Amino acid sequence: MVFTQLFVNGLIAGAIYALVAAGFSLIYSTTKFVHFAHGATVAVSAYFLYFLFSILGINFWISVPLAIAFGAFFGLICNILVYEKFVDKKASNVILLITSFGLLILFESIILLLFGADVKTIGFIKISKGIEIAGAIITPLQIFIVISSFVLLAVLWFFMKKTKLGKAMRAVSDNKAVAETLGINAKKIFNWSFVIGSAIAGVAGIFVALEQNLEPTMGTNLIIKGFTGAVIGGIGSAPGAILGSFLLGFAENFGIWFLPSGYKDAIAFVILLVFLLFRPTGILGIKREVQK
Amino acid sequence: MIESYLIHLAILICIYLILAIALQIAVGFSGLLNLGHIAFYCVGAYASALLALAGFPFWVCLIAAGILAMLSGFVIALPTNKLRGDYLALATMGFSFVVYAIALNWTDLTRGPLGLPGIPRPKIFGFVFSDNLAFLILAIAIALICFFALKRIASSQFGKVLEAIRDDELATRILGKNSFKMKTFALGISAFFAGIAGSLYASYITFIDPSSFTILQIIPVLAIVIIGGLASFRGTIIATIIIVLLPEPMRFIGFPSSIVGPARQIIYALLLLLILLFRPKGLFGKVELE
Repeated sequence: MVFTQLFVNGLIAGAIYALVAAGFSLIYSTTKFVHFAHGATVAVSAYFLYFLFSILGINFWISVPLAIAFGAFFGLICNILVYEKFVDKKASNVILLITSFGLLILFESIILLLFGADVKTIGFIKISKGIEIAGAIITPLQIFIVISSFVLLAVLWFFMKKTKLGKAMRAVSDNKAVAETLGINAKKIFNWSFVIGSAIAGVAGIFVALEQNLEPTMGTNLIIKGFTGAVIGGIGSAPGAILGSFLLGFAENFGIWFLPSGYKDAIAFVILLVFLLFRPTGILGIKREVQK
Repeated sequence: MIESYLIHLAILICIYLILAIALQIAVGFSGLLNLGHIAFYCVGAYASALLALAGFPFWVCLIAAGILAMLSGFVIALPTNKLRGDYLALATMGFSFVVYAIALNWTDLTRGPLGLPGIPRPKIFGFVFSDNLAFLILAIAIALICFFALKRIASSQFGKVLEAIRDDELATRILGKNSFKMKTFALGISAFFAGIAGSLYASYITFIDPSSFTILQIIPVLAIVIIGGLASFRGTIIATIIIVLLPEPMRFIGFPSSIVGPARQIIYALLLLLILLFRPKGLFGKVELE
């Protein structure tokens, strides 16, 4: 029954990675730069929940939406205060990448400074006995995480396909210059993609906070996974990013069948390198100038 | 007391200078945004420490550290050679994580999180550099050799080809230069000197563990390269001194180390963001990042 347990673990990991990757991919598809500090958004939301619920003692069901909103706000602020300045100066993608990496380290260090390096737990949901399904043990919280990730990703897909704002985002992502001549304000669309993408990252942060625990480095770890998922599936394509994230979740969890569990994180990179090398456009990716 | 503190800072400046100049070869001269530089530093430090613990003389450890780091440089250069700027940065960053995971998990070799204590201080012709002042002289000597060797490489014909590749790879290939081979060599040389810096670090601190080689550590080195300016040797020296000394006043105010650590990273990250925004060429840079 090791197989089903690893499958379930892969599914849970994949669900969380998919949320991170979907937001990341959404931001990438419109703005066309790598927003590494997306990982910081995840960590900031999780720590904000910890601050509201565990330190201030505010009701959990009020704290959660506030934490998600804070994540969205954080992403928006990053764009307005930092990225927009660089984009206005027509900075190259590499400069934006280093900038976003700098932002990630900056906020990780701020969290470390404010909350300390020790591992924190939210402790809202008492450790409950897992349910056994086909030999695999899964807790009710984990079931909730998997189902709500699927629902959220479906809502995102519907939003991108059917609403006016979603269509405008796809237009900007497809061809910014043409979209602008049709009266779409690209700057506004950038802001919206940061708000929506960061809110989804906030949800991911809260799931991680509840399911595992909080560490200042959680954001870096998760953005690496989310990014890898996005590259595997095809960067800039939300369904691809989701598919890639689940594949990554499974690969990591089945990988520790053969390797010591400490190598779990390294598996992600080996896969990332293999994809960058042989199929940089990802499984579902649109052909893009990845290689010179 | 104050003397030994100044000597310590001077040794750190030497180590960071080698590390930063080595990164200049990759980022500044060849235009390869390598965020995995710390991986080479890590390979060098572990190779040197393990050989020194096994009783090998210092110069063997130093050279072996460089060569092993260079081989790891080839390992990452070969698969990523065709990748564009930001993709290369991410792939090399991934490599850095893999090396860190190996250092942490290959416990039979590296003792994992326990680290390697008791690394002997360098011994050359029977003289042991156990005193920090003596070690500083050795560090300065090695830093100077590395500095002039790299300067020589950068101003050689090979260095000019690297700069040509950075500015226009296609044109350089039309001129009959094998850009693939050149870039691989550039990354190998860069890694070699990062390994030397790692060896120096391991034999100075006499203890290494994986926490010294996390991805966070790339931030000060990258900050030195960007603040100093791409492809500028003079800028790199000045920026190294600035970056090493900048967070030091915090110690005199008397903050505990739990605050100094993250505060240093905050200072470096902020500095990096500000310089990218207001002076992307750095102090003495000739080119901008593309």
